[in-house]
Amino acid sequence: MSTLARLILLGVLTLALLIIAVCVGPTSLLNFSSLWHLLREGASTPELQRASLVLWELRLPRVFLAAGVGANLALGGLLLQAIFRNPLAEPYLLGLSSGGALAAVLALAAGMTSVTWPALGGSLAVALLVLLLCRHRVASDLPSLLLAGVALGALAQAFTTATILRFNPEALRGILFWLMGSFANQGWSAVALVLPTAVIGFIFTLFLHRPLDLLAIGGESAHHLGVPTHAVQIMGIALAAALAAVTVAVCGTIGFVGLMAPHLARRVAGAPHAVSVPASLLLGVMLTVGSDLVARTLLVGTELPVGVVTGALGCMFFLALLRQKR
Amino acid sequence: MKNIAVKAFKLCAGYEREDVLRSVSFELHTGEVLGVVGPNGSGKSTLLRALTGLLPLRSGKVQMQGRALPSLSAKERARLCAVQPQIEMPLFDYSVRDFVLLGRHPHRALLGAAHPTDHEAAERALRRAGMSEMSERSIRALSTGEWQRALLARALAQETPLLFLDEPAAHLDPGHRYAIHLLLRQLAHKENRAVLCISHDLNLAAEFCDRLMLLRAGSVLALGTPEEVLQEKILQELFGCAALRVAINPHTGRPGTVFAS
Repeated sequence: MSTLARLILLGVLTLALLIIAVCVGPTSLLNFSSLWHLLREGASTPELQRASLVLWELRLPRVFLAAGVGANLALGGLLLQAIFRNPLAEPYLLGLSSGGALAAVLALAAGMTSVTWPALGGSLAVALLVLLLCRHRVASDLPSLLLAGVALGALAQAFTTATILRFNPEALRGILFWLMGSFANQGWSAVALVLPTAVIGFIFTLFLHRPLDLLAIGGESAHHLGVPTHAVQIMGIALAAALAAVTVAVCGTIGFVGLMAPHLARRVAGAPHAVSVPASLLLGVMLTVGSDLVARTLLVGTELPVGVVTGALGCMFFLALLRQKR
Repeated sequence: MKNIAVKAFKLCAGYEREDVLRSVSFELHTGEVLGVVGPNGSGKSTLLRALTGLLPLRSGKVQMQGRALPSLSAKERARLCAVQPQIEMPLFDYSVRDFVLLGRHPHRALLGAAHPTDHEAAERALRRAGMSEMSERSIRALSTGEWQRALLARALAQETPLLFLDEPAAHLDPGHRYAIHLLLRQLAHKENRAVLCISHDLNLAAEFCDRLMLLRAGSVLALGTPEEVLQEKILQELFGCAALRVAINPHTGRPGTVFAS
Protein backbone atom coordinates (compact mmCIF):
# COMPACT_ATOMS: atom_id res chain seq x y z
CA MET A 1 0.00 0.00 0.00
CA SER A 2 1.38 3.39 -0.88
CA THR A 3 2.18 5.89 1.84
CA LEU A 4 -0.58 8.23 0.72
CA ALA A 5 -3.13 5.41 0.83
CA ARG A 6 -2.04 4.57 4.36
CA LEU A 7 -2.44 8.18 5.45
CA ILE A 8 -5.91 8.34 3.91
CA LEU A 9 -6.89 5.07 5.59
CA LEU A 10 -5.61 6.46 8.89
CA GLY A 11 -7.69 9.59 8.37
CA VAL A 12 -10.84 7.55 7.65
CA LEU A 13 -10.28 5.40 10.74
CA THR A 14 -9.79 8.51 12.86
CA LEU A 15 -13.02 10.01 11.57
CA ALA A 16 -14.87 6.76 12.29
CA LEU A 17 -13.52 6.68 15.83
CA LEU A 18 -14.57 10.31 16.39
CA ILE A 19 -18.13 9.48 15.31
CA ILE A 20 -18.23 6.42 17.56
CA ALA A 21 -16.90 8.48 20.48
CA VAL A 22 -19.65 11.05 19.95
CA CYS A 23 -22.37 8.39 19.87
CA VAL A 24 -21.33 6.27 22.83
CA GLY A 25 -21.62 7.30 26.45
CA PRO A 26 -23.37 6.77 29.77
CA THR A 27 -26.63 8.32 28.56
CA SER A 28 -28.43 6.62 25.69
CA LEU A 29 -30.14 9.88 24.69
CA LEU A 30 -27.54 10.26 21.98
CA ASN A 31 -26.66 7.22 19.86
CA PHE A 32 -25.99 6.46 16.21
CA SER A 33 -29.64 6.62 15.11
CA SER A 34 -30.48 9.78 17.04
CA LEU A 35 -27.34 11.44 15.67
CA TRP A 36 -28.45 10.44 12.18
CA HIS A 37 -31.94 11.89 12.73
CA LEU A 38 -30.44 15.00 14.28
CA LEU A 39 -28.23 15.56 11.28
CA ARG A 40 -31.10 15.01 8.81
CA GLU A 41 -34.01 16.71 10.52
CA GLY A 42 -32.50 18.98 13.15
CA ALA A 43 -33.88 19.06 16.71
CA SER A 44 -37.50 18.55 15.60
CA THR A 45 -38.86 16.52 18.55
CA PRO A 46 -38.34 16.95 22.32
CA GLU A 47 -36.31 13.75 22.29
CA LEU A 48 -34.04 15.05 19.58
CA GLN A 49 -33.75 18.33 21.45
CA ARG A 50 -32.38 16.45 24.44
CA ALA A 51 -30.04 14.53 22.15
CA SER A 52 -28.91 17.81 20.66
CA LEU A 53 -28.18 19.12 24.13
CA VAL A 54 -26.06 16.05 24.93
CA LEU A 55 -24.29 16.42 21.61
CA TRP A 56 -23.39 20.09 21.98
CA GLU A 57 -22.87 20.36 25.71
CA LEU A 58 -21.31 17.01 26.58
CA ARG A 59 -20.04 14.80 23.79
CA LEU A 60 -18.72 17.20 21.17
CA PRO A 61 -16.61 19.35 23.52
CA ARG A 62 -15.28 16.24 25.19
CA VAL A 63 -14.36 14.47 21.95
CA PHE A 64 -12.85 17.63 20.46
CA LEU A 65 -10.89 18.21 23.65
CA ALA A 66 -9.53 14.66 23.62
CA ALA A 67 -8.67 14.98 19.93
CA GLY A 68 -6.86 18.28 20.42
CA VAL A 69 -4.92 16.95 23.39
CA GLY A 70 -3.92 13.83 21.47
CA ALA A 71 -2.69 15.95 18.57
CA ASN A 72 -0.74 18.26 20.89
CA LEU A 73 0.98 15.44 22.71
CA ALA A 74 1.78 13.47 19.55
CA LEU A 75 3.27 16.48 17.76
CA GLY A 76 5.26 17.44 20.88
CA GLY A 77 6.65 13.93 21.15
CA LEU A 78 7.55 13.80 17.46
CA LEU A 79 9.37 17.15 17.68
CA LEU A 80 11.34 16.22 20.77
CA GLN A 81 12.30 12.75 19.56
CA ALA A 82 13.87 14.21 16.43
CA ILE A 83 15.49 17.18 18.16
CA PHE A 84 16.95 15.18 21.04
CA ARG A 85 17.75 12.25 18.76
CA ASN A 86 16.17 10.11 21.42
CA PRO A 87 13.31 7.69 20.76
CA LEU A 88 12.25 7.94 24.41
CA ALA A 89 11.81 11.71 24.46
CA GLU A 90 8.30 12.95 25.16
CA PRO A 91 6.67 16.26 26.05
CA TYR A 92 6.58 15.71 29.81
CA LEU A 93 10.28 15.02 29.98
CA LEU A 94 11.10 18.71 30.26
CA GLY A 95 9.48 18.89 33.70
CA LEU A 96 6.44 20.62 32.27
CA SER A 97 3.73 18.46 33.74
CA SER A 98 5.21 18.68 37.22
CA GLY A 99 5.49 22.45 36.96
CA GLY A 100 1.91 22.72 35.78
CA ALA A 101 0.70 20.38 38.52
CA LEU A 102 2.50 22.35 41.22
CA ALA A 103 0.98 25.62 40.06
CA ALA A 104 -2.47 24.01 39.86
CA VAL A 105 -2.24 22.53 43.33
CA LEU A 106 -1.00 25.82 44.78
CA ALA A 107 -3.91 27.62 43.11
CA LEU A 108 -6.39 25.16 44.65
CA ALA A 109 -4.76 25.57 48.04
CA ALA A 110 -5.16 29.31 47.67
CA GLY A 111 -8.88 28.82 47.09
CA MET A 112 -9.07 29.26 43.33
CA THR A 113 -11.63 27.10 41.54
CA SER A 114 -10.20 26.97 38.02
CA VAL A 115 -6.68 25.62 37.59
CA THR A 116 -6.33 26.12 33.84
CA TRP A 117 -4.42 29.40 33.83
CA PRO A 118 -2.19 28.67 36.86
CA ALA A 119 -1.27 25.30 35.36
CA LEU A 120 -0.47 26.89 32.01
CA GLY A 121 1.72 29.44 33.76
CA GLY A 122 3.47 26.78 35.83
CA SER A 123 4.28 24.56 32.85
CA LEU A 124 5.55 27.43 30.76
CA ALA A 125 7.60 28.74 33.69
CA VAL A 126 9.40 25.43 34.05
CA ALA A 127 9.99 25.20 30.31
CA LEU A 128 11.43 28.71 30.26
CA LEU A 129 13.61 27.98 33.26
CA VAL A 130 14.99 24.85 31.60
CA LEU A 131 15.74 26.75 28.41
CA LEU A 132 17.34 29.63 30.31
CA LEU A 133 19.50 27.27 32.35
CA CYS A 134 20.85 25.74 29.16
CA ARG A 135 20.64 28.64 26.72
CA HIS A 136 24.32 28.51 25.87
CA ARG A 137 24.46 24.78 25.47
CA VAL A 138 21.31 23.70 23.66
CA ALA A 139 22.94 22.89 20.37
CA SER A 140 26.05 21.26 21.74
CA ASP A 141 24.70 19.57 24.81
CA LEU A 142 21.15 18.32 24.49
CA PRO A 143 21.40 15.70 27.26
CA SER A 144 22.05 18.40 29.86
CA LEU A 145 18.79 20.05 28.82
CA LEU A 146 16.93 16.83 29.51
CA LEU A 147 18.67 16.51 32.88
CA ALA A 148 17.68 20.05 33.82
CA GLY A 149 14.06 19.23 32.92
CA VAL A 150 14.09 16.03 34.94
CA ALA A 151 15.69 17.79 37.94
CA LEU A 152 13.25 20.71 37.95
CA GLY A 153 10.38 18.28 37.44
CA ALA A 154 11.43 16.26 40.48
CA LEU A 155 11.66 19.41 42.59
CA ALA A 156 8.20 20.57 41.50
CA GLN A 157 6.81 17.13 42.23
CA ALA A 158 8.22 17.19 45.76
CA PHE A 159 6.54 20.54 46.43
CA THR A 160 3.30 19.26 44.88
CA THR A 161 3.24 16.26 47.20
CA ALA A 162 3.96 18.45 50.21
CA THR A 163 1.09 20.78 49.25
CA ILE A 164 -1.38 17.96 48.56
CA LEU A 165 -0.89 16.57 52.05
CA ARG A 166 -2.60 19.67 53.44
CA PHE A 167 -5.86 19.11 51.52
CA ASN A 168 -8.94 17.50 53.11
CA PRO A 169 -9.87 14.06 51.73
CA GLU A 170 -12.69 15.31 49.49
CA ALA A 171 -10.50 17.93 47.78
CA LEU A 172 -7.70 15.36 47.59
CA ARG A 173 -9.90 13.08 45.46
CA GLY A 174 -10.57 15.83 42.97
CA ILE A 175 -6.97 16.95 42.68
CA LEU A 176 -5.70 13.38 42.26
CA PHE A 177 -8.23 12.84 39.49
CA TRP A 178 -6.98 15.95 37.74
CA LEU A 179 -3.34 14.98 38.22
CA MET A 180 -3.94 11.65 36.52
CA GLY A 181 -5.51 13.28 33.53
CA SER A 182 -9.18 13.65 32.77
CA PHE A 183 -11.44 15.17 30.14
CA ALA A 184 -14.43 15.28 32.50
CA ASN A 185 -16.29 18.49 33.30
CA GLN A 186 -14.67 20.59 30.58
CA GLY A 187 -16.54 22.69 28.10
CA TRP A 188 -15.95 24.59 24.93
CA SER A 189 -13.55 27.01 26.64
CA ALA A 190 -11.04 24.18 27.07
CA VAL A 191 -11.55 23.17 23.44
CA ALA A 192 -10.91 26.79 22.42
CA LEU A 193 -7.51 26.54 24.09
CA VAL A 194 -6.45 23.13 22.79
CA LEU A 195 -7.72 22.96 19.21
CA PRO A 196 -6.09 26.18 17.91
CA THR A 197 -2.75 25.23 19.44
CA ALA A 198 -3.02 21.81 17.78
CA VAL A 199 -3.64 23.45 14.40
CA ILE A 200 -0.80 25.95 14.84
CA GLY A 201 1.50 23.18 16.09
CA PHE A 202 0.64 21.01 13.09
CA ILE A 203 1.39 23.79 10.60
CA PHE A 204 4.70 24.67 12.26
CA THR A 205 5.78 21.05 12.50
CA LEU A 206 4.89 20.43 8.87
CA PHE A 207 7.04 23.38 7.83
CA LEU A 208 9.91 21.94 9.88
CA HIS A 209 9.56 18.46 8.42
CA ARG A 210 12.85 18.32 6.52
CA PRO A 211 14.93 20.09 9.17
CA LEU A 212 13.53 17.50 11.59
CA ASP A 213 14.59 14.69 9.24
CA LEU A 214 18.08 16.13 9.14
CA LEU A 215 18.31 16.73 12.89
CA ALA A 216 17.21 13.15 13.54
CA ILE A 217 20.05 11.95 11.32
CA GLY A 218 22.62 14.07 13.11
CA GLY A 219 23.34 17.61 14.23
CA GLU A 220 26.43 17.92 12.06
CA SER A 221 24.66 16.66 8.96
CA ALA A 222 21.82 19.10 9.57
CA HIS A 223 24.27 21.97 9.81
CA HIS A 224 26.08 20.99 6.63
CA LEU A 225 22.79 20.73 4.77
CA GLY A 226 21.79 24.27 5.58
CA VAL A 227 19.60 23.87 8.66
CA PRO A 228 20.06 26.66 11.22
CA THR A 229 20.23 23.94 13.85
CA HIS A 230 20.26 26.12 16.94
CA ALA A 231 17.21 28.12 15.87
CA VAL A 232 15.25 25.02 14.84
CA GLN A 233 16.06 23.25 18.10
CA ILE A 234 14.96 26.20 20.23
CA MET A 235 11.84 26.68 18.12
CA GLY A 236 10.93 23.00 18.27
CA ILE A 237 11.48 22.70 22.01
CA ALA A 238 9.51 25.88 22.68
CA LEU A 239 6.67 24.64 20.48
CA ALA A 240 6.60 21.21 22.14
CA ALA A 241 6.65 22.92 25.54
CA ALA A 242 3.73 25.18 24.63
CA LEU A 243 1.72 22.25 23.28
CA ALA A 244 2.32 20.22 26.42
CA ALA A 245 1.69 23.18 28.73
CA VAL A 246 -1.73 23.79 27.21
CA THR A 247 -2.52 20.10 27.60
CA VAL A 248 -1.47 19.97 31.23
CA ALA A 249 -3.44 23.13 31.95
CA VAL A 250 -6.65 21.72 30.55
CA CYS A 251 -6.60 18.10 31.61
CA GLY A 252 -3.63 17.19 33.76
CA THR A 253 -1.02 14.62 32.87
CA ILE A 254 -1.87 12.13 30.14
CA GLY A 255 1.20 9.98 29.76
CA PHE A 256 2.56 7.84 26.94
CA VAL A 257 0.55 9.35 24.09
CA GLY A 258 3.48 11.59 23.15
CA LEU A 259 5.69 8.54 23.20
CA MET A 260 3.46 6.00 21.46
CA ALA A 261 1.95 8.07 18.65
CA PRO A 262 5.26 8.99 16.92
CA HIS A 263 6.53 5.41 17.17
CA LEU A 264 3.34 4.02 15.69
CA ALA A 265 3.33 6.74 13.04
CA ARG A 266 6.82 5.88 11.84
CA ARG A 267 5.82 2.24 11.72
CA VAL A 268 2.59 2.84 9.81
CA ALA A 269 3.63 5.65 7.43
CA GLY A 270 7.43 5.68 7.46
CA ALA A 271 10.21 7.73 9.04
CA PRO A 272 10.28 10.86 6.81
CA HIS A 273 8.57 13.62 8.75
CA ALA A 274 6.60 14.70 5.68
CA VAL A 275 4.43 11.65 6.40
CA SER A 276 5.10 10.95 10.07
CA VAL A 277 3.86 14.42 11.09
CA PRO A 278 0.29 13.91 9.80
CA ALA A 279 0.36 10.25 10.82
CA SER A 280 1.43 11.15 14.37
CA LEU A 281 -1.31 13.71 14.65
CA LEU A 282 -3.98 11.21 13.54
CA LEU A 283 -2.65 8.44 15.78
CA GLY A 284 -2.45 10.83 18.74
CA VAL A 285 -6.10 11.74 18.17
CA MET A 286 -7.07 8.07 17.93
CA LEU A 287 -5.14 7.12 21.07
CA THR A 288 -6.64 9.80 23.30
CA VAL A 289 -10.17 9.68 21.91
CA GLY A 290 -10.09 5.87 22.12
CA SER A 291 -8.63 5.91 25.64
CA ASP A 292 -11.24 8.42 26.77
CA LEU A 293 -13.96 6.25 25.28
CA VAL A 294 -12.67 3.30 27.31
CA ALA A 295 -12.23 5.48 30.42
CA ARG A 296 -15.85 6.58 30.44
CA THR A 297 -17.52 3.33 29.38
CA LEU A 298 -15.44 0.54 30.96
CA LEU A 299 -16.94 0.87 34.45
CA VAL A 300 -20.66 1.44 34.84
CA GLY A 301 -21.59 4.45 36.93
CA THR A 302 -18.09 5.82 37.36
CA GLU A 303 -15.23 7.08 35.25
CA LEU A 304 -11.55 6.17 35.13
CA PRO A 305 -8.93 8.90 34.77
CA VAL A 306 -7.93 8.73 31.11
CA GLY A 307 -4.27 8.80 32.18
CA VAL A 308 -4.80 5.37 33.72
CA VAL A 309 -6.00 3.99 30.37
CA THR A 310 -3.14 5.54 28.36
CA GLY A 311 -0.68 4.29 31.00
CA ALA A 312 -1.98 0.74 30.63
CA LEU A 313 -1.89 1.05 26.84
CA GLY A 314 1.66 2.43 27.01
CA CYS A 315 2.83 -0.51 29.08
CA MET A 316 1.38 -3.03 26.65
CA PHE A 317 2.80 -1.07 23.73
CA PHE A 318 6.34 -1.19 25.04
CA LEU A 319 6.14 -4.83 26.01
CA ALA A 320 4.99 -5.59 22.47
CA LEU A 321 7.85 -3.50 21.09
CA LEU A 322 10.30 -5.42 23.25
CA ARG A 323 8.98 -8.76 21.99
CA GLN A 324 9.35 -7.70 18.37
CA LYS A 325 12.89 -6.42 18.78
CA ARG A 326 14.13 -9.80 20.01
CA MET B 1 46.49 32.75 -11.66
CA LYS B 2 44.44 30.06 -9.91
CA ASN B 3 40.87 30.61 -8.88
CA ILE B 4 40.59 30.66 -5.10
CA ALA B 5 37.59 28.66 -3.86
CA VAL B 6 38.29 28.77 -0.15
CA LYS B 7 40.59 31.12 1.68
CA ALA B 8 41.40 30.44 5.32
CA PHE B 9 43.28 33.17 7.11
CA LYS B 10 44.90 32.66 10.52
CA LEU B 11 42.16 30.35 11.83
CA CYS B 12 42.13 29.77 15.57
CA ALA B 13 39.47 27.52 17.09
CA GLY B 14 39.06 24.99 19.86
CA TYR B 15 36.87 23.40 22.51
CA GLU B 16 36.38 24.77 26.04
CA ARG B 17 39.79 26.00 27.16
CA GLU B 18 41.80 24.00 24.68
CA ASP B 19 43.10 25.60 21.49
CA VAL B 20 43.09 23.03 18.70
CA LEU B 21 43.77 25.17 15.63
CA ARG B 22 46.58 27.68 15.97
CA SER B 23 46.65 30.20 13.16
CA VAL B 24 45.98 27.98 10.16
CA SER B 25 46.16 29.74 6.78
CA PHE B 26 45.78 28.15 3.36
CA GLU B 27 43.98 28.45 0.04
CA LEU B 28 41.93 25.82 -1.75
CA HIS B 29 41.81 26.30 -5.53
CA THR B 30 39.02 25.37 -7.91
CA GLY B 31 39.87 22.26 -9.87
CA GLU B 32 42.16 20.73 -7.28
CA VAL B 33 42.05 18.01 -4.66
CA LEU B 34 43.75 19.15 -1.48
CA GLY B 35 44.56 16.36 0.96
CA VAL B 36 44.79 17.12 4.68
CA VAL B 37 46.99 14.67 6.57
CA GLY B 38 48.45 14.56 10.05
CA PRO B 39 48.55 12.44 13.19
CA ASN B 40 45.51 11.78 15.40
CA GLY B 41 44.52 14.91 17.26
CA SER B 42 46.41 17.25 14.94
CA GLY B 43 43.20 19.19 14.22
CA LYS B 44 42.06 17.78 10.87
CA SER B 45 38.41 17.32 11.76
CA THR B 46 38.44 20.52 13.81
CA LEU B 47 39.69 22.35 10.72
CA LEU B 48 36.75 21.00 8.76
CA ARG B 49 34.33 22.13 11.47
CA ALA B 50 35.89 25.58 11.64
CA LEU B 51 35.80 25.96 7.85
CA THR B 52 32.09 25.16 7.73
CA GLY B 53 30.98 27.29 10.65
CA LEU B 54 30.12 24.32 12.84
CA LEU B 55 32.70 25.44 15.38
CA PRO B 56 32.93 29.18 16.05
CA LEU B 57 36.26 30.78 15.19
CA ARG B 58 38.21 32.39 18.03
CA SER B 59 39.95 34.50 15.45
CA GLY B 60 40.71 34.44 11.75
CA LYS B 61 38.57 34.48 8.63
CA VAL B 62 37.09 32.02 6.17
CA GLN B 63 36.01 32.99 2.67
CA MET B 64 34.04 30.73 0.34
CA GLN B 65 34.01 31.83 -3.29
CA GLY B 66 35.03 35.29 -2.18
CA ARG B 67 32.28 35.63 0.42
CA ALA B 68 32.95 35.79 4.14
CA LEU B 69 31.54 32.73 5.92
CA PRO B 70 29.44 34.68 8.48
CA SER B 71 27.73 36.62 5.68
CA LEU B 72 26.30 33.41 4.20
CA SER B 73 22.93 32.11 5.36
CA ALA B 74 22.82 28.44 6.35
CA LYS B 75 21.17 27.47 3.07
CA GLU B 76 23.50 29.62 0.96
CA ARG B 77 26.47 27.92 2.61
CA ALA B 78 24.95 24.51 1.94
CA ARG B 79 24.50 25.41 -1.74
CA LEU B 80 28.19 26.35 -1.93
CA CYS B 81 29.77 23.63 0.14
CA ALA B 82 28.85 20.00 0.78
CA VAL B 83 30.42 17.96 3.56
CA GLN B 84 30.73 14.24 3.97
CA PRO B 85 30.99 13.98 7.75
CA GLN B 86 32.43 11.14 9.74
CA ILE B 87 29.99 8.34 10.49
CA GLU B 88 26.87 9.50 12.31
CA MET B 89 24.48 6.77 13.38
CA PRO B 90 20.94 7.29 12.04
CA LEU B 91 18.08 7.14 14.54
CA PHE B 92 15.20 6.30 12.24
CA ASP B 93 14.59 4.15 9.19
CA TYR B 94 14.91 5.94 5.88
CA SER B 95 15.37 4.34 2.49
CA VAL B 96 18.76 5.11 0.94
CA ARG B 97 17.00 7.10 -1.79
CA ASP B 98 15.02 9.25 0.68
CA PHE B 99 18.21 9.79 2.64
CA VAL B 100 20.19 10.93 -0.40
CA LEU B 101 17.29 13.13 -1.47
CA LEU B 102 17.75 15.01 1.82
CA GLY B 103 20.95 16.30 0.22
CA ARG B 104 18.68 18.47 -1.92
CA HIS B 105 17.35 20.34 1.11
CA PRO B 106 19.36 23.53 0.48
CA HIS B 107 17.89 23.74 -3.04
CA ARG B 108 14.27 23.19 -2.00
CA ALA B 109 11.50 25.21 -0.40
CA LEU B 110 10.36 24.18 3.07
CA LEU B 111 7.15 22.62 1.76
CA GLY B 112 6.28 20.84 -1.47
CA ALA B 113 7.29 17.69 -3.31
CA ALA B 114 10.78 17.23 -4.73
CA HIS B 115 11.30 18.66 -8.21
CA PRO B 116 12.36 16.30 -11.04
CA THR B 117 15.80 17.96 -11.01
CA ASP B 118 16.12 16.96 -7.34
CA HIS B 119 15.34 13.35 -8.18
CA GLU B 120 17.81 13.44 -11.08
CA ALA B 121 20.56 14.84 -8.84
CA ALA B 122 19.88 12.16 -6.25
CA GLU B 123 20.01 9.38 -8.86
CA ARG B 124 23.25 10.77 -10.29
CA ALA B 125 24.78 10.92 -6.81
CA LEU B 126 23.67 7.37 -6.02
CA ARG B 127 25.23 6.16 -9.26
CA ARG B 128 28.53 7.92 -8.63
CA ALA B 129 28.80 6.58 -5.10
CA GLY B 130 28.01 3.09 -6.37
CA MET B 131 24.78 2.93 -4.37
CA SER B 132 22.16 2.73 -7.13
CA GLU B 133 21.39 -0.91 -6.50
CA MET B 134 20.87 -0.28 -2.81
CA SER B 135 18.59 2.72 -3.15
CA GLU B 136 15.52 0.91 -1.80
CA ARG B 137 17.34 -0.54 1.21
CA SER B 138 16.90 0.89 4.69
CA ILE B 139 19.86 2.98 5.85
CA ARG B 140 19.86 1.02 9.09
CA ALA B 141 20.44 -2.22 7.22
CA LEU B 142 23.64 -0.99 5.53
CA SER B 143 27.15 -2.10 6.44
CA THR B 144 29.52 0.60 7.71
CA GLY B 145 31.19 0.92 4.32
CA GLU B 146 27.85 1.14 2.50
CA TRP B 147 26.62 3.74 4.98
CA GLN B 148 29.75 5.75 4.34
CA ARG B 149 29.05 5.66 0.62
CA ALA B 150 25.46 6.75 1.30
CA LEU B 151 26.87 9.77 3.18
CA LEU B 152 29.07 10.52 0.17
CA ALA B 153 26.06 10.22 -2.14
CA ARG B 154 24.12 12.69 0.01
CA ALA B 155 27.00 15.19 -0.19
CA LEU B 156 27.23 14.69 -3.98
CA ALA B 157 23.48 15.27 -4.32
CA GLN B 158 24.02 18.78 -2.99
CA GLU B 159 25.87 19.49 -6.28
CA THR B 160 28.08 22.19 -4.80
CA PRO B 161 31.24 23.78 -6.20
CA LEU B 162 33.03 22.94 -2.93
CA LEU B 163 33.24 19.48 -1.42
CA PHE B 164 34.81 18.67 1.95
CA LEU B 165 35.26 15.08 3.04
CA ASP B 166 36.29 13.69 6.41
CA GLU B 167 38.06 10.39 5.79
CA PRO B 168 35.69 9.30 3.01
CA ALA B 169 37.44 5.95 2.58
CA ALA B 170 37.94 4.98 6.22
CA HIS B 171 35.61 1.97 6.12
CA LEU B 172 35.86 1.00 2.46
CA ASP B 173 37.43 -2.02 0.83
CA PRO B 174 40.36 -1.41 -1.58
CA GLY B 175 38.18 -1.45 -4.67
CA HIS B 176 35.79 1.17 -3.37
CA ARG B 177 38.62 3.18 -1.84
CA TYR B 178 40.22 3.42 -5.25
CA ALA B 179 36.92 4.26 -6.96
CA ILE B 180 36.12 7.05 -4.49
CA HIS B 181 39.52 8.68 -4.93
CA LEU B 182 39.23 8.42 -8.70
CA LEU B 183 35.84 10.10 -8.41
CA LEU B 184 37.26 12.92 -6.29
CA ARG B 185 39.95 13.58 -8.86
CA GLN B 186 37.38 13.57 -11.65
CA LEU B 187 35.15 16.02 -9.74
CA ALA B 188 38.07 18.41 -9.40
CA HIS B 189 39.78 18.05 -12.77
CA LYS B 190 36.81 17.48 -15.09
CA GLU B 191 34.08 19.42 -13.29
CA ASN B 192 36.26 22.14 -11.83
CA ARG B 193 35.16 21.65 -8.25
CA ALA B 194 37.33 22.32 -5.23
CA VAL B 195 37.79 19.22 -3.10
CA LEU B 196 39.27 19.11 0.39
CA CYS B 197 39.79 15.61 1.69
CA ILE B 198 40.97 14.55 5.14
CA SER B 199 42.82 11.29 4.89
CA HIS B 200 44.75 8.84 7.01
CA ASP B 201 46.05 6.92 4.07
CA LEU B 202 49.25 8.72 3.02
CA ASN B 203 49.66 6.56 -0.06
CA LEU B 204 46.21 7.19 -1.45
CA ALA B 205 46.43 10.86 -0.55
CA ALA B 206 49.76 11.21 -2.35
CA GLU B 207 48.44 9.27 -5.33
CA PHE B 208 45.22 11.21 -5.87
CA CYS B 209 45.66 14.65 -4.31
CA ASP B 210 47.14 17.55 -6.26
CA ARG B 211 48.48 19.10 -3.09
CA LEU B 212 48.89 17.91 0.48
CA MET B 213 48.70 19.86 3.72
CA LEU B 214 50.44 18.41 6.74
CA LEU B 215 49.00 19.42 10.09
CA ARG B 216 50.92 19.20 13.34
CA ALA B 217 49.32 20.19 16.66
CA GLY B 218 46.94 22.59 14.96
CA SER B 219 49.35 24.35 12.64
CA VAL B 220 50.38 23.83 9.04
CA LEU B 221 53.71 22.01 8.94
CA ALA B 222 53.97 21.79 5.17
CA LEU B 223 51.80 22.56 2.16
CA GLY B 224 52.67 21.64 -1.41
CA THR B 225 52.73 18.87 -4.01
CA PRO B 226 53.09 15.33 -2.66
CA GLU B 227 56.70 15.31 -3.86
CA GLU B 228 57.45 18.46 -1.88
CA VAL B 229 55.60 17.47 1.26
CA LEU B 230 56.41 13.78 1.65
CA GLN B 231 59.93 14.11 3.04
CA GLU B 232 61.21 11.18 5.08
CA LYS B 233 62.60 13.34 7.88
CA ILE B 234 59.40 15.38 8.27
CA LEU B 235 57.13 12.33 8.25
CA GLN B 236 59.26 10.32 10.69
CA GLU B 237 59.19 13.19 13.14
CA LEU B 238 55.52 14.09 12.54
CA PHE B 239 54.21 10.59 13.14
CA GLY B 240 56.88 9.65 15.68
CA CYS B 241 57.84 6.61 13.64
CA ALA B 242 61.46 6.00 12.72
CA ALA B 243 60.54 3.02 10.52
CA LEU B 244 58.66 5.23 8.04
CA ARG B 245 60.28 5.50 4.61
CA VAL B 246 59.28 7.36 1.48
CA ALA B 247 59.15 5.13 -1.60
CA ILE B 248 58.18 5.80 -5.19
CA ASN B 249 55.30 3.81 -6.63
CA PRO B 250 56.92 2.10 -9.65
CA HIS B 251 53.63 2.15 -11.57
CA THR B 252 52.73 5.82 -11.23
CA GLY B 253 55.98 7.47 -10.17
CA ARG B 254 54.22 9.12 -7.21
CA PRO B 255 55.71 9.09 -3.73
CA GLY B 256 54.23 7.06 -0.89
CA THR B 257 55.25 5.56 2.42
CA VAL B 258 56.36 2.10 3.47
CA PHE B 259 57.73 0.69 6.72
CA ALA B 260 61.38 -0.29 6.80
CA SER B 261 60.79 -2.92 9.46
